[in-house]
Amino acid sequence: MAAANPAAATFVASEQGDAVSAVLRKYQGLFYVLPALVFVVLFVLWPLAQLVYLSLTDTSLLGGGKFIGLENYAKALEDKSFWRALGFTAKYTVFITPILMGLGFALALLTAPNRPLQQLTRGIIFLPVVIGIGSSSLLWFWLFDQQVGMFNRILVDIGLLSEPMVWFTKADPALLAVTISITWKVIGFGMLLFVAGIQSINGEIGEAALIDGGNYWQRVWYIILPLSLRVIMLTTLISVIGSMLAFDQFYIMTGGNPRGQTFTSVYWIYQNSFISFKLGYGAALSIILTLIILVFSTLQVILSNRSPQA
Amino acid sequence: MNMPVLGRTMLALSLSAALFVPAVAHAETLSIWARASSSNAAQHMIDLWNASHEDKIELTTIPDNQMVTKLATSVQAGDVPDLISFDLIFMPDFMKAGFLTDLTDTLGADPNQAKVAQAFRDLASYDGKLYGTGFTPDVSILLYNKGLFTQAGLDPESPPKTVAELEKFAMQIKEKVPGAYGYYFSGSCGGCNIFTQAPMMWASGATLLPTSGDAPAMDGTGVKEVLTMLRNLWTAGAIPESAEADTGANFQATFETGTVGMQGSGGFAIAALKANHPEIDFGIAPLPGVNEGDASSFVGGDVIAVPKGSKNAAKAIEFIQWQLTDEAQLNALAKNLILPSRSDLADNEYFKAEPRYITTAKAVGIGKTPYAFKFNDMVNADQSPWLTMLQTAVFDGDIDGAIEAARETMRGIAAQ
Repeated sequence: MAAANPAAATFVASEQGDAVSAVLRKYQGLFYVLPALVFVVLFVLWPLAQLVYLSLTDTSLLGGGKFIGLENYAKALEDKSFWRALGFTAKYTVFITPILMGLGFALALLTAPNRPLQQLTRGIIFLPVVIGIGSSSLLWFWLFDQQVGMFNRILVDIGLLSEPMVWFTKADPALLAVTISITWKVIGFGMLLFVAGIQSINGEIGEAALIDGGNYWQRVWYIILPLSLRVIMLTTLISVIGSMLAFDQFYIMTGGNPRGQTFTSVYWIYQNSFISFKLGYGAALSIILTLIILVFSTLQVILSNRSPQA
Repeated sequence: MNMPVLGRTMLALSLSAALFVPAVAHAETLSIWARASSSNAAQHMIDLWNASHEDKIELTTIPDNQMVTKLATSVQAGDVPDLISFDLIFMPDFMKAGFLTDLTDTLGADPNQAKVAQAFRDLASYDGKLYGTGFTPDVSILLYNKGLFTQAGLDPESPPKTVAELEKFAMQIKEKVPGAYGYYFSGSCGGCNIFTQAPMMWASGATLLPTSGDAPAMDGTGVKEVLTMLRNLWTAGAIPESAEADTGANFQATFETGTVGMQGSGGFAIAALKANHPEIDFGIAPLPGVNEGDASSFVGGDVIAVPKGSKNAAKAIEFIQWQLTDEAQLNALAKNLILPSRSDLADNEYFKAEPRYITTAKAVGIGKTPYAFKFNDMVNADQSPWLTMLQTAVFDGDIDGAIEAARETMRGIAAQ
């Protein structure tokens, strides 16, 4: 039929083509983000929605489960063990974060120049990052062992201890032992981010400070530190989230001992979900923990956005 | 193209035969999941089966602490293995949850099933039905260092026969042998202690785990006697300080240092010590009770069952029945110095050269396993009432308070 009037047909086709192009132009951005969007919906939002639903049921790992509304959340508010675990997790986070940030930044200052020795040092410090946290925790668990642990032996040999100690019978030494192992394991990651931040600072600023007579520490304090603040905030954010989600290292090294004093929030969620089979309750605890982390992360991101750029 | 009639007939017959033959002779490959700690024994059994049967079995090893999660999710997803071997202590929960196939009419009618250790038969029954049987058992015993016994002036051929004697011997080792300890237990491991301390309690008639909210729990003099013995040893320094924090990682390692006189352990220790520490002269004895002759044991290890939804259930049951035969029990297990699950085969030709195995094999017959739902909550969890009771009694000294608190919490769990 269209062949009866070729000009009209071309006009209609052209009109349709324009309309399609307009639609394409309008949603072009959406098409670009579509793969990522599908991924996020499928693997983040949908499981999260399922988790929320699970938290409103009394589902057991052994099956079954009915809708019970907010009962799990009410129970969580009265669960002393969960709040104690959350308190210990916060203590661990507050304890380890300054160590990781301070030591990581110091190492970054020492290894930032791209000279062979510094590059080699960076590589060596970064090596433990590629080891699984389970393997490294197991390694350190035995290093701290009272009878066969090499770390204990070294401390005795250099005179810091009179005899090998049992690290995991008291909460504070246990926390210290885990902190040492995790610092060894992850310090290289923070250092690397800091090195990237330091290296991205315009060299001319440093040179100008040098000409003005600024010494090394003045350049660190007045130039490097302020201009690395965004990286520091980002690294702190990653570190805090990691610490709030700590599980493997405590599961392997302390087993929550002594007497449950080193249970972290995630460890307690694991206990409820997979040892006591209470999947619904475990889901509710997970949601509470997620919300707490979300609040702190939002605060940190806001602070981070106010920092000056390099 | 025309084909002669005969040719067409032959071709049709050949094609029919080709289709028919595989349907008759088709061999299946069955899948089995076994937890890591029993996979060695399971592999011996599977190797023997595979060598003599057309249907083959493939073993997948699952880390011990992931078995429950893995089975639960696989049953709910409808994608299960044909056979499963797991810690018998979870049988009550799994049977109640409807995860397993009813084997009452098949396995229940097998004469060999009646010869399986009583503990396995009890744990595999629910509501009058049978859901599994023994596969790779292990049993708790008292392990003692004969060298330290001699140094302490004790007779290495006379292990303690009562809880009081155990305490006395342990104290003597601590006093007489410099650098040695009398006894060891993993103070932060619920599972290890239900395996090794509980038999000393129930040997004296104690009832430990309640089956309902008003059932007896931590009941009987044996509970207090054993906790008092442990408390006395702890305060006297006859137990290493590291015991308090041991989550089970050093369950065996401490004895292997050669500085521990006695500890509750499992039959598996015999092979491990012989292979890795031939320098340690050790003995095996039943775990004693309060009175002489009260010995008991915890029958642990794995049961074998068919998960609901198994695609080869009939052949899976065939394997379960076969592994109870004399041939399988002796050639796959006993020959490899692994305990058979049939009590009548405890005294076998392979164990004669190593009498310590006969002690453990006989312990399977006198031992038992608590039948309890929510066993994890009551015992295995890191803050379980069972573990909290041990820790409070032994390390803090409040024995009566610890027993009462455990009783109350356990009943609360059982009532849920």
